[in-house]
Amino acid sequence: MECLELKERISAMIDGEALPAEVRMVEEHLAACAECRAIERRMRSVGAGVARIEGEVPAGFRDALFARMEAENLIPRRRSLFVFSLRWAAVPLGAAAALALFLFMSGGKGKDAVMPPEPVPRVAQSPTAAPAPAGIAEDASKRLPAVAGREREKSVASAGAGQEPLSPEDRDIIANLDLLEDPAGIDAPGEVDEMEIFVPSGRRQG
Amino acid sequence: MRTDEELMELYRKGSRDAFEELFARYQGKLVHFAFRMTGDQAKAEEAAQETFLRIARAAFTWQPKAKFTTWMYTIARRTTLNFLRDEKDEAEKVPIQPGEENEDGSPALQLAGPNSLGPEEMAWSAQIQERFVESLQRLPETYRSAFILNRGEGLSYEEVASVLGVTVQAVKSRIFRAREMLMESLSELLP
Repeated sequence: MECLELKERISAMIDGEALPAEVRMVEEHLAACAECRAIERRMRSVGAGVARIEGEVPAGFRDALFARMEAENLIPRRRSLFVFSLRWAAVPLGAAAALALFLFMSGGKGKDAVMPPEPVPRVAQSPTAAPAPAGIAEDASKRLPAVAGREREKSVASAGAGQEPLSPEDRDIIANLDLLEDPAGIDAPGEVDEMEIFVPSGRRQG
Repeated sequence: MRTDEELMELYRKGSRDAFEELFARYQGKLVHFAFRMTGDQAKAEEAAQETFLRIARAAFTWQPKAKFTTWMYTIARRTTLNFLRDEKDEAEKVPIQPGEENEDGSPALQLAGPNSLGPEEMAWSAQIQERFVESLQRLPETYRSAFILNRGEGLSYEEVASVLGVTVQAVKSRIFRAREMLMESLSELLP
């Protein structure tokens, strides 16, 4: 085979595109032909040279492309981390703000908002009864329950003057206000309910 | 790892991450390809960016049966040629010969230089790269595309044939012609 006819096959062999039979034929020829071996070497060189040519990807290449794509609506926009954070923090922030607003609006009553309200006799809640001055109620709440109960009894009695007469049940409640506010007085020493001692433990638990 | 075709499917369904992955895989290859084709860094950047945009715009016309890289290089080549044509229209300073299949090699570019080294042996310098790039630009576009797609981008003859829309035999012939012309124009640099 002439060398010129073989050159195209040498090129294909270098590229890994020659058939096995063609490769064998070319290799046999190259083994015996110095000129074609030189051509093969030069052919490989130009291929390797082209593969080494490279452009540069500039730093802003990606950002510029994605900005254009977003402008053309070719790609969904990436949400920023700040937006995500704000969205997820909105619920707890809103709850905290509402709580702070509630505490602020309640002002001096903040203590009442947090602590359970002190039991107030039904008489004091009567719609016709005049509300006790805030200062008195506040002082009473700071004192011991029994003292506060007596004072409340007096204030209720004075507030109830000129009002409808109390029912026997209400009078009974007022008379026992001390006991209601200080349950320890019920179980005074020496007045232990003996029946309770013999109550089976299972029933106590039940 | 997802294939290119799977990523394209995901992008078509609206996945930004899928396109980001494709971009990460091929940004370098497309810039290199456009630079080899044009020999101009600025044009290579523009052509590569335009190629990505065209891929995104044409994503819904892409057939999942087609290999993504073949489709991508088809777009890249056309985009790059448009850039070269635009430049030619504007300045008429890039002589691209009409590459015919049976055309003989054009007169070789005579390069000055004392060295006679192969790329594997010589220290690759900017100057030598410039000479290679210059010689590539002198090739007929049909030869240049075939040779760059095969040697530069690693496409098989069959894939090159698909990109160029010609037969495998035509690709084989074009690559051989390109080699002959480059060997002639770079004779002083080659062993």
